[in-house]
Amino acid sequence: MKFFIDDLPIIFPYDRIYPEQYAYMCDLKRTLDATGHCVLEMPSGTGKTVSLLSLIVSYQQFFPVKRKLIYCSRTVPEIEKALSELKRLMAYRISVAENNEQREKEEAFIGLGLTSRKNLCIHPEDARCRDLTNPAVVNKARAEPGSVEVCSFHENMNDIPNENILSPGIWTLADVLQHGRDTGTCPYFTIRRSMPFVDVIIYSFHYLLDPKVAEQVSKEMSKDSIVVFDEAHNIDNVCIESLSIDLTRPMLDAAARSVDKLADQIDEIKKTDASKLQDEYAKLVEGLQEAASDEDAFTSTPVLPEDLLKEAIPGNIRKAEHFVAFLKRLVEYLKTRMRVLHVVAETPLSFLQHLKDITYIERRPLRFCAERLQSLVRTLELNRLDEYSSLQKVANFATLVSTYEKGFLLILEPFETDNATVPNPIFHFVCMDPAIAIKPVFERFSSVVITSGTISPLDMYPKMLQFTPVVQETYAMTLTRNAFLPLVITRGSDQVAISSRFEVRNDPAVVRNFGSILVEYSKIVPDGVVAFFPSYLYMESIVAAWNDMGILNEVWKHKLIFVETPDANETSIALENYRRACDNGRGAVLLSVARGKVSEGIDFDHNYGRAVIMFGVPYQYTESRILKARLEYLRDAYRIRESEFLGFDAIRNAAQCVGRALRGKTDWGLMIFADKRFARADKRAKLPRWINQYITETAANLSTDMALTLSKLFMRTISQPVGENSTGVSLWTVEDVEKAQAAQRQAEAEQTAAVAAQQSRASQGLGLGEPMDEDDDEYDAGGLSERVLGEVNLDI
Amino acid sequence: MSTVCTAKASYKKIPGLLELTSTHLQWTQDGKKAPAVHVAHTEVSSLFSSKEGAAQVRLKVGLENDSNGHNFAFTSPAPLALTERETFKAQLTTIISNNRAARDTGAVQLPQTGVQTPSNGGIRRAPAPVPPRPSDSRAESVSSHRGTPVNDPINDFHVRKKVLLNTPELAALHRELVMSGQITETEFWEGREQLLLAQAASDSQKKGRPGQLVDPRPQAVEGGEVKIVITPQLVHDIFDEYPVVAKAYDENVPSKLSEAEFWKRYFQSKLFHSHRASIRSTATQHVVKDDAIFDKYLERPDDELEPRRPRDDEVDMFIDLEATREDHEETGNERDVTMQAGKQRGALPLIRKFNEHSERLLKSAISTDGTGKRRRLDSGDASDSGGHYSQIDLADLHNPEPSSGVLLEMQDRQRYFESRAGAAASAEQAPRPTVDLRAAWQQMRRDLDGWQGHLAQLKTDRKAAEAALASMTENVATRLDAQKRKADIPEEIFGQMRTCQTAANEFLRQFWSAIYPPVGESTLGGPTTLAQKTAKATRMAGYLTKTSEKVGAIVRAAEMAGVDRSRVQTGMQPTLDAAKRALEFWETRKAAPGARRA
Repeated sequence: MKFFIDDLPIIFPYDRIYPEQYAYMCDLKRTLDATGHCVLEMPSGTGKTVSLLSLIVSYQQFFPVKRKLIYCSRTVPEIEKALSELKRLMAYRISVAENNEQREKEEAFIGLGLTSRKNLCIHPEDARCRDLTNPAVVNKARAEPGSVEVCSFHENMNDIPNENILSPGIWTLADVLQHGRDTGTCPYFTIRRSMPFVDVIIYSFHYLLDPKVAEQVSKEMSKDSIVVFDEAHNIDNVCIESLSIDLTRPMLDAAARSVDKLADQIDEIKKTDASKLQDEYAKLVEGLQEAASDEDAFTSTPVLPEDLLKEAIPGNIRKAEHFVAFLKRLVEYLKTRMRVLHVVAETPLSFLQHLKDITYIERRPLRFCAERLQSLVRTLELNRLDEYSSLQKVANFATLVSTYEKGFLLILEPFETDNATVPNPIFHFVCMDPAIAIKPVFERFSSVVITSGTISPLDMYPKMLQFTPVVQETYAMTLTRNAFLPLVITRGSDQVAISSRFEVRNDPAVVRNFGSILVEYSKIVPDGVVAFFPSYLYMESIVAAWNDMGILNEVWKHKLIFVETPDANETSIALENYRRACDNGRGAVLLSVARGKVSEGIDFDHNYGRAVIMFGVPYQYTESRILKARLEYLRDAYRIRESEFLGFDAIRNAAQCVGRALRGKTDWGLMIFADKRFARADKRAKLPRWINQYITETAANLSTDMALTLSKLFMRTISQPVGENSTGVSLWTVEDVEKAQAAQRQAEAEQTAAVAAQQSRASQGLGLGEPMDEDDDEYDAGGLSERVLGEVNLDI
Repeated sequence: MSTVCTAKASYKKIPGLLELTSTHLQWTQDGKKAPAVHVAHTEVSSLFSSKEGAAQVRLKVGLENDSNGHNFAFTSPAPLALTERETFKAQLTTIISNNRAARDTGAVQLPQTGVQTPSNGGIRRAPAPVPPRPSDSRAESVSSHRGTPVNDPINDFHVRKKVLLNTPELAALHRELVMSGQITETEFWEGREQLLLAQAASDSQKKGRPGQLVDPRPQAVEGGEVKIVITPQLVHDIFDEYPVVAKAYDENVPSKLSEAEFWKRYFQSKLFHSHRASIRSTATQHVVKDDAIFDKYLERPDDELEPRRPRDDEVDMFIDLEATREDHEETGNERDVTMQAGKQRGALPLIRKFNEHSERLLKSAISTDGTGKRRRLDSGDASDSGGHYSQIDLADLHNPEPSSGVLLEMQDRQRYFESRAGAAASAEQAPRPTVDLRAAWQQMRRDLDGWQGHLAQLKTDRKAAEAALASMTENVATRLDAQKRKADIPEEIFGQMRTCQTAANEFLRQFWSAIYPPVGESTLGGPTTLAQKTAKATRMAGYLTKTSEKVGAIVRAAEMAGVDRSRVQTGMQPTLDAAKRALEFWETRKAAPGARRA
């Protein structure tokens, strides 16, 4: 369908549209027009991605200044899904193009996705990519063919100009892989070299937020690009992750070995080709950054662009042998720190002071550590680069610790757990402030859209990420019938309260009651049931306990059981089988973990998830020192209370889990929150509005048997055929959209008229007390704000 | 049917006579003629007996499709009972082994002695009747084909029995009419073939494998000893679930170990404990003795973070979790201790076992299914990037498409359309009355002239309206009244009325089916010739004449019970009318036998 928002023609690849999709697009357009940032919460499964792409592509194609779209998602499956949406949208746009000129324009549109070398490699030995494609090796191979091994897929691309590598259109990751196989070219470099020409690029959060990656892939994105963070409910964690580093003892040992190897290499090169080192030194003296092509960089500096010093590398690490000695001292120092057998927490400043006292290493050379290492690696033309990753980590650590003072903490934990006796020390460099990593994104790009199905409470994100949104909105779900039933089970049929609270979670009564919820629901729910646990530890222990108690035997009678395992590939296979069991009619139960691998990015729509059970509240482990530090920081810096943050974090993850069960309004599912703490009003208030509004008072405090009765009733009603009356209410045709727009325009007109009238009368009747009151009444009656009116329309 | 042996035995605590004939095993209650238990030889699948010296001499017969089977206790004085039991046992064992041989041709070669191979020694000989195990019933799903041939479901006694058991109303009618000998069995089923066919079809549907893990749990018996009862099904399941045991069996039996010895040692070995689906197995590990033979087959528990046997199955991109892990370098701090997967190492083998077991079950279901249901992942054409569009589609946002409909399969379609075309053609040829459009238009305008006024003048007759209302009120009142008084016929009388009515209906059905030709060709081997039909009709007519008597009796009984006789009469009137109608028809037909032949 095609309709207009203001003057912008929107092409939407469906015959109808949900009212919330329309509202979402309107707000998105306002943001883009205002070139500002926004936070939008749109109910899961109501076609957020397609609305977003549909509006932005319409926007790009309509205005002469093409703003690039940088679309970030969390996981590769989600990236691929977004690419598929885009591909279908463009196919639709081409099919409805009104004339040839327009069709050509649509056909010239380019959209790509990017992921790692490893995921995009079609070479049989993908681990060696960097060794086979780095410029030194490639140049050598060209100089004397056959002297070194190179990647043929990479070589085959040499003669193709970058803009011709891919024909215009939308290329999903699978498409690019196939293209690579067909033409014998490297998919990864195909994408990297095509990136300057794309209209839409889709990749994961890290490629924009993690400075090490962003430096390489996102540097040349223009400032007017539109940045979208989809599924952004965990964006603060990604921000923090990208600036945090862990060092372990094996890592330091490996780093020490690498330093020795570097020293050997330097000795060798001194004998064979001393001029190279001389050249490097000369360049460093002049402060010249070596302009290696970005795509081949081993790694780049871990700090953010504006924290980079545009200075020459300090003199005491310019000479290769000096730098190696410097690294050696640093590694030795860190190793000594690891020997301490009590927990240490210190600020970067105090760490630097101590370092200086012991080793005389100054802060300034430390800041250039990562960069200097990169230069050295390039000069030495090393291969087997992966072996140097530990040393790289140490260098990154050095650079980070000497760059940032505020919002960071160093924690040394000598033991893994409190009761462990064998030391296994980890040196955590912890970033506590998500705003640091995302700040350059907000500063550089004019429009940043943060959106997700569960991003409540909305004001939390601007507060944590330190930005001011121009639009901040959450949308209700318009339904002609309740497509999902959220239930809060607080106690078992035996009236024992259930909770995943640490003190009671292993109580046999609680374990049994959790188990009987699973058993009962596997009896009554068709096809797929997904259960989420608050942590891996809890899931693994409860699965074992259930098995010993014979509870799982009951489940086996009705459904197959699949469980998330530590291995990603193994879990994918289990997932694939789970879906087959759902399709086949056998039915299955999937046990997995909130915040785990499965909870992010996998959809359980339709028969893949007729019921989602959340066992317990997915709180973080509050004994974690890192979490404690972060909570403290949030309290001091942003006045976010500990309990508030913990509750918010737990509920957003719970909502994320249950929200994956829906796609579209004819889909249906049960959402079961099994913990007595969900009954508390303050917890429920943190749920997204579209879930919370459907939790009735009675459904907020149920025992298992009551919940089962309600669930059965719900399934009986929902299994009736859908009435045709949803059109116009929860589904809009083009006419409905136009009607809504007309109503809105009228309301606006009335409002402006009323305001004008009031102003004129106010100016006329200045000093006349009585008529003024009348005017006010009139204003109140006629001047409903557009939003209010919009909502009135929506809720019918 | 020659009787092979007999013995006095009680069944469900009722004394009776147990007989083994050349085809069936049957038990008749004392003083009754028809056997209450009647089992074909082919159905007997297993046999269990109480140990010698037990208080009661018992014999349990497990059936092909009934896990509980039948339990008989021999009631003759002790020594005699024992010999009787042994006779039966000997006979039945041969029968069962024959059955098994017939069945197991396709299945895993099971040990012949598996019928009753309790492990000996520390695990003592299985003494008591075995408690019903779900696995018994699964012998059916294991066997490649069913024991009872169901070539002719319509005449199959068991199918009939099942239908009757499933529908109590039909069973009541059957008791009323067939047992009392009013109509024959064949007549009763005539016209009800569909029920039998449906039952046979649902019976022949193969049951899938039940999901439970194979986890033979030892049962404690008195004396602190434990025992594990091995059934052929269990053996099969163990071999299926743990190929390593099958391998061990293959390599060691009977060359190194005897059958019984093998199982005894297996259940005591570390291998068995590592197979137990429980994390307790790690705890029992050190109690278990070393076993030179089985320890060879022992594998390290699969409890590393990565599975021992990594698999490189092609995974759909939409659920590829590995790709996300590989998407970017791992950054950030380690997750806290509760969020590190695989910290509970003991649970990992268990979890892996669940996934493998589920996958195996799924595969067995899909392969037996043949086509199975169409996978959603595969749906869609090739152009939509591997079926991915269907996964991201919001179906309700499309305009509802008119369904393509179902083509009407018509016999003689050609002729139908020809005849229709002919009719249409003839209609075409018929002269049409010519209509003067203008005149018609004016006529209409004239008719409609001043319609508003007419409408305003429209008055309804007051009386008529009142009458209509009154009649409606009355109607409602009567219904209410009827509803209120509905339940005042005593249950007993009401029951009699119902029986009488269903019986009469059955007679009517039989009567009319004898008179008119059957709808389909499928007959029950019932009366086919005209003479037989007439005979049957005569008989039914005879029964029908008695209907009014019966009704009269009920009416009288009702009066005695203080019920308004007219109500009972009204209730039975339709039945009486129908009977009368049939009888009248019969009279006329008898009076004019010539007419029938024409």
